[in-house]
Amino acid sequence: MPAFSVVLLDFLDGAKNTIIFCVVSFPLALLLGLLLALMSSSRTTWLRVPARIYIEVIRSTPLISQVYIIYFGVSGLLAASGLAVYVNTWTAGIASLALNYAAYEAEVFRAGLLSVERGQSEAALSLGLTSGQTFFRIVFPQAIPFMIPPFVNDLIYMLKDSAIISVIGGAEITTKLDVWRVRFSSNPLPFFALAIALYLILSLPTSYFARNYERRLRAQQ
Amino acid sequence: MQQAVTASEPRPRAWLTVLNIAFYAVLVVLLALFVYYLYTFRDTIALDLPVWLQGAVVTVVLTVSSIVLATIFGFIGALCRLSRFRALRWIAFAYVELIRGTPILVQLLLWGFGVNIALANIGFDPYNVAYQFLTVLQSNSILPSSSVAFDAAFYGIIGLSFNYGAYLTEVFRTGIQSVDKGQTEAALSLGLDGRQTMRTIILPQAIRITIPPFTNYFITLVQDTALLSTLGGVIEIQQVTTSLASPVTGDANLQMFIYIFGAFIFFCICYPLALLARYMEGRIAVAY
Repeated sequence: MPAFSVVLLDFLDGAKNTIIFCVVSFPLALLLGLLLALMSSSRTTWLRVPARIYIEVIRSTPLISQVYIIYFGVSGLLAASGLAVYVNTWTAGIASLALNYAAYEAEVFRAGLLSVERGQSEAALSLGLTSGQTFFRIVFPQAIPFMIPPFVNDLIYMLKDSAIISVIGGAEITTKLDVWRVRFSSNPLPFFALAIALYLILSLPTSYFARNYERRLRAQQ
Repeated sequence: MQQAVTASEPRPRAWLTVLNIAFYAVLVVLLALFVYYLYTFRDTIALDLPVWLQGAVVTVVLTVSSIVLATIFGFIGALCRLSRFRALRWIAFAYVELIRGTPILVQLLLWGFGVNIALANIGFDPYNVAYQFLTVLQSNSILPSSSVAFDAAFYGIIGLSFNYGAYLTEVFRTGIQSVDKGQTEAALSLGLDGRQTMRTIILPQAIRITIPPFTNYFITLVQDTALLSTLGGVIEIQQVTTSLASPVTGDANLQMFIYIFGAFIFFCICYPLALLARYMEGRIAVAY
């Protein structure tokens, strides 16, 4: 067996990469999700239908298929047209996580925006605010508290789903786990224990925060 | 109020109507382009579609057997979480937190490459057990000839159902708890015992509430069977797709097509299910 410190350092490096994947992908997913939510609640067909199609297609296919499409499919096409420099696991992993989660965040945004009473925007419009002002100054700030718990939940889901990037070798916790368990395949359980402990350390405090926040939010109402 | 607002909205202008018609024309063209895209790879489809369809059958079998087992796990878990005994409550709580705090992929790898080996070391071989059992029934020919495939499917189903059991535990628990306490009190005061109350009063009402989240989990379960391709040996859709695509890395277009077609098959399974789930959800909401 290898020295524990060597394994631990390698796994901690993996945890760092897992966090980087999530911290970069999640804001991208939020931005794209907001855009999709605004598009899909628009009255213009040109905006609404493409957003709906995107959301439905993404939500009806597995993330692992999307990772394969982006890493092997798209990078294959890029390499074939002489753009091989853009092919790596970081870009593919972040792109697939962000594109996948955008569809889910769009639904969260939509539900959050719908939870703000309609009278608020009517009042704002009748006071002479433009529709842009109404959205950004009246409706959106009131929707934020309702959206934070589902966002934190989705962040935890993304943390767990980032394990799927290991199929393309993303150097995060599960990839490290894969490397070590194959090297010591007669006794892999300690490596599993370490990986599971790291994931729990990352996810449990976050989920407790989300639950506490939700409880306080409900108590306020 | 709502009526007045809607009535005061301006009627769509003529050029907007034209724009909408143009949009659907563009949509039809795009759909036709997708069909044409499939048509240009008709040789690949003709050659590989049977394999893909076999993969789809395997995916469906895996999903159905996992959801049945997961429902059992979830039901037991929910009863434990609502039990009078603190030890049972704690076990169920730890189960749910442990499963929901870790990735399903890591759990599947643990079952397929960790628990698998640990159990083999103490002499448990699921393939052998199944073989012996089916020999008694004189039908051991229905087993796959390689124990690797059988073991991967066996531990894959256990892993999937163990994972979804934790999520369903929470679904069933909230379902049971959402039934009004007065129902239990009324049933008990009418002379039903605890078990009768649960079976004839609470569960029928709880099931209605659990149906929408349950169907949602069913759809994500179909997608999560794709993760079994990492165990090797389970020939489901994603495994078929990857093994068809990896020999053709030289042909980027063909490779892309194979990956897209694999995802398209998942879409063909999951999207109708999602539509059905939404329809049922609407029906249930109306019934109350």
